[in-house]
Amino acid sequence: MTLLAIENLCVELDGPDGTLRLLDDVNLFLSKGRCLGLVGESGCGKSMTALAIMGLLPRGMRASGRILLEGEDLLSIGEDRLCGLRGRKMAMVFQEPMTALNPVVPIGRQVAEGLRLHLGLTRHEAELRAGKMLARVGLPVERFPLGLFPHQLSGGQRQRVVIAMALTCGPDLLVADEPTTALDVTVQAQILDLIAELVEEFDMGLVLITHDLGVVAESTDTMSVMYAGKVVEDGPTDEVFQRMAHPYTRGLFAAMPSHSSDLDATRKRLTTIPGRVPDASSRPSGCPFVARCSFATDQCSDAPPPLERLAHRHSASCFNLSRVEGL
Amino acid sequence: MSEGWAEVWRMGLRSRGFVIGGVVTLIFILIAVSALIWTPYPVAEIVVSRRFQGISAAHWLGTDQFGRDLVSLLMAGAVNSVAVAIVAVGLGMGIGVPLGALAAARQGWLDEIVMRANDFAFAFPALLSAVMITALAGPGAVNSIIAIGIFNIPVFARLTRGAALVVWKREFILAARVSGKGPLRISVEHVLPNIASVLIVQATIQFALAILAEAGLSYLGLGTQPPQPSWGKMLNEAQTLMFLAPQLAIFPGMAIALTVLGLNLFGDGLRDVLDPRLRRER
Amino acid sequence: MTLFLVKRLIMLAATLLVAAVVVFFVLEILPGDPALVMLGVSAQADTLAALRAEMGLDLPAWQRFTNWIGGVVTGELGRSYTYDVPVSELIGERVVVSLPLAVMALTLSTVIAIPLGVIAASRHNRTTDIALTGAAQIGIAISNFWFAILLILLFSVTLRWVPAGGFAGWDAGFWPAIQSLLLPAIALALPQAAILTRVTRSSVLEVLQEDFVRTARAKGLSRRAALWRHAVRNALIPVITILGLQFSFLLAGTIIIENVFYLPGLGRLLFQAIAQRDLIVVKDLVVLLAGTVVVVNFVVDLGYAVLDPRLRSGGGHV
Repeated sequence: MTLLAIENLCVELDGPDGTLRLLDDVNLFLSKGRCLGLVGESGCGKSMTALAIMGLLPRGMRASGRILLEGEDLLSIGEDRLCGLRGRKMAMVFQEPMTALNPVVPIGRQVAEGLRLHLGLTRHEAELRAGKMLARVGLPVERFPLGLFPHQLSGGQRQRVVIAMALTCGPDLLVADEPTTALDVTVQAQILDLIAELVEEFDMGLVLITHDLGVVAESTDTMSVMYAGKVVEDGPTDEVFQRMAHPYTRGLFAAMPSHSSDLDATRKRLTTIPGRVPDASSRPSGCPFVARCSFATDQCSDAPPPLERLAHRHSASCFNLSRVEGL
Repeated sequence: MSEGWAEVWRMGLRSRGFVIGGVVTLIFILIAVSALIWTPYPVAEIVVSRRFQGISAAHWLGTDQFGRDLVSLLMAGAVNSVAVAIVAVGLGMGIGVPLGALAAARQGWLDEIVMRANDFAFAFPALLSAVMITALAGPGAVNSIIAIGIFNIPVFARLTRGAALVVWKREFILAARVSGKGPLRISVEHVLPNIASVLIVQATIQFALAILAEAGLSYLGLGTQPPQPSWGKMLNEAQTLMFLAPQLAIFPGMAIALTVLGLNLFGDGLRDVLDPRLRRER
Repeated sequence: MTLFLVKRLIMLAATLLVAAVVVFFVLEILPGDPALVMLGVSAQADTLAALRAEMGLDLPAWQRFTNWIGGVVTGELGRSYTYDVPVSELIGERVVVSLPLAVMALTLSTVIAIPLGVIAASRHNRTTDIALTGAAQIGIAISNFWFAILLILLFSVTLRWVPAGGFAGWDAGFWPAIQSLLLPAIALALPQAAILTRVTRSSVLEVLQEDFVRTARAKGLSRRAALWRHAVRNALIPVITILGLQFSFLLAGTIIIENVFYLPGLGRLLFQAIAQRDLIVVKDLVVLLAGTVVVVNFVVDLGYAVLDPRLRSGGGHV
């Protein structure tokens, strides 16, 4: 069953030097109980997509296209209805647990707030349920009273609070924007496992945003690779990992340190992708990756390559797919 | 460097407050300077027969209870305000900036003393102390300058120290220290030029505050003494004549407000233009 | 936190002591013999000497200082040279004018400025914001005594709603007394409100950029609810500092405003005492005012702890 379908999503911002297109024709699809990985370098539009889904784009940005959550177009329902959906039907976990919590409000009240707002619970009922939820994410009330303030917790503990906050009302869709980037390596795995467990337990759909391909391989069903505001390759995770059809996807893999203990692999030098993501204000008219791509031909600079279907659900946008795969 | 200032200028012209404030400030200073050579009527000319006149072609803003021309009085009052404010802020900067720079350069006990003295000075309402100083040392322009100036010292000392401490952590200072330059020389050659913009902005704002403070002291009869005209004194005299000639109470106050408004707008605009943090955000 | 408070208390006491020393010795070195002032220039030399002895003026400076400070601490403030009544009595009958005035002004400026600042920030760069910021700029530029004169011109001279000055006294009843303090309080409050509006606005703007505001929105809170329930409380922390500073500005402002409205308050008493070289009154008043400012700043520090739990418990992981 389709949970989330994003169709032709564009996000634009009027700047002093004309209109910038931050997201360009993004299409994504997620079924209930599944996990979609969004991968790419910083500035590629991953977080922008997450904010667009939540309807929390910064003021001045305009979104067009359709974002369908269980068939309801989030871009056309208006702010009041969105407020009713946020936290109840869809929720978000943020990158920075250190700053995502209000420093002057006790954690119990922060978790309970959504319950009181959406389910109309009394303060007492809400805090009772908040306590249960906190216990579920690993912060039992006996050791972590509801009256604690965020500064009394570690980064990992705070991220657990953020997760509890997101899940209190039992949302159908969870958007996690680099939920482990700001944490210690040892804590990262715990938090990821917790999210995976909860997704299964609550039968949610998860959009997991990350730049870590290892995380994607481990915990997602499908994945989309984004570059400069566009989806350049998407498909079932194992298929994408197998074929790596787009040159940019290949670059990302080559730049990833290997986790295996294979000596050959660890000795292999990490490659980097030359250059950097072009600014939204200076994107070429053709393929956005053209300047950094070793397969680029004249055709690439002229027009953007269309998304080409490679297999049942796997597609990539590149003119030179056959040459890339021939390697 | 000249390119940097050109950039500042270009950005400044885009900011409305900067332009309006700059123009008002410029007009105010021009009026003060021109009053040194020329006023429509002699300031001290008392002609009882033409007192309490309203607005007319001969007297644009009318005349006061002694028949003096209000425009001329206001112009002469501007001279007084500029003079007091410049000397007072100059005094505050002249002592405060070296103190702050020294505290930042030397650290340790010297820093501690300067900062504690600062805390102490901030615990006193400046105007209260200024009233005390002028009242006890005798009213007059010079004493009011000193009183206002003294309370500019901690403002500049604190600001200089804070800004200088940031500069002292930068790499080029390390380079200068490695090359064997002493703290004094580094302060003068490297630190002060780097915090000049912060100081200029603060000076503009303190200038406005000094004008307000001078007006307050003169109003109380503790500042500039007659016959030298001052805006605060004019307001004081006008208050007793409020039923007879309310306009006398309006124009001097308006002069103060316009000047202070212009200076504040200019200072805020200048800060927006000079502050690199804000500049990046745009 | 406890350590923080103890430190602040020591600072508080030290500041007061230094203030007392400075005031005492500044007044010591100034010309003007209080005994001479009391008796007039034609006084006999021996009467003068007798009076000086009675007032303790012939003792060495340090002894007079300790006598005075001892008196201040025990509430024995000495006798006014000119009014020949205990200073505590003088201050007592004036404080019932100045304190309500300052409190009214502070309340007024807080009640006006904080909501306006929050509204301006929430309408960032829109018409409401630009209008409010502009009004605040003008408010800062208007000196309170000129604003006071304008108020008198409008409400007393033109509309004749309230008297142009003077104080009805609390004996005349609560409302008449409040009425005569109303214009002065408004005049005092306006420039402070303008400053406070600007501070609140920029503080709220800064907090609105914080991640936790977005978190609150992601929970389903409306823009308005996120602003008032999550942003404002955090934004008030720096505003409290300014409130503390404003109290001392208000105290100083009363000196001028009480003169404009002919109010028999502390400011006017200080002003008159200086003019009449009633030095004992000056000394006591200045220490009292400085003490008030220092204590208010201490209370502000306590206010931080109420608003910011990070200060309360001193941090640390569980």
